[in-house]
Amino acid sequence: MIVRLTRRYEFFASHRLHCSTLTEEQNREIYGKCNNPHGHGHNYEVELTVQGEVDPVTGCVVDISALDRLADDQILTPFRYRNLNEEVEAFRTLVPTTENLGAEVDRRLRAAWPGAFAGRGPRLEKVRIRETERNICEITHTR
Amino acid sequence: MVISKKVEFSASHICRSAQLTDAENERVYGLAANPLGHGHNYVVEVAVEGEPDPVTGMILDLKRLKEILDERVLEVYDHRLLNREVSPFDRVVPTAENIAIDIWNRMVSCIGERARLYSVKVHESSDLSVEYRGES
Repeated sequence: MIVRLTRRYEFFASHRLHCSTLTEEQNREIYGKCNNPHGHGHNYEVELTVQGEVDPVTGCVVDISALDRLADDQILTPFRYRNLNEEVEAFRTLVPTTENLGAEVDRRLRAAWPGAFAGRGPRLEKVRIRETERNICEITHTR
Repeated sequence: MVISKKVEFSASHICRSAQLTDAENERVYGLAANPLGHGHNYVVEVAVEGEPDPVTGMILDLKRLKEILDERVLEVYDHRLLNREVSPFDRVVPTAENIAIDIWNRMVSCIGERARLYSVKVHESSDLSVEYRGES
């Protein structure tokens, strides 16, 4: 029986949406007030959905503490209380939109996943990142 | 009777006091002392107290309250780095406490005749909020 489990995490960070290959005017037009030179910030929520068989002994689809450690090492510690543009390597060149942030979270988790779960166990199905109540990005991997 | 209205803004801030040393700032504010800043989706709930007008049935026209919130709070705070762009946070640490007091001060004089400002509640995250009810 395949079961999906979703775990939620939160971090607070600041960012500025600005693309260096566009003009100042284009940036203002595309990103609006998110282009404010001093930046602004959000309470980001990350939801990770994992999918797999329920272990008959533990009754669990995923070792939650292993997932928490992975989220802590790969996302929360590097992003929490940070200025994303200045302090996260990927966003020195990429604009930290919700889409790019979701993709970076997804990339980091996938890279570290085999190490955390020793090649067995659950599969990361979906990364969902909520920037505000009204702005949510989902990255889904279907097999 | 009390009515309240809720609005949201996104902003960044740096929790550091110029009157404390670097070590003290880090001890007091922890990760929030990061000099490059971090941010929140702030939720502000403003409550107004009064008796409903016998004709309109309203304490205060909610459209008017929304306009006041837009002008006095959102236009000032939304998508800003509070320490650099919002007075008095060039001098005062923009904690949730000080934000609630500042919003109170910005709103208290413009609520109208029938009503008075009752409280300003600032939620910095889902598990932290502060409330200010003025100097009474």
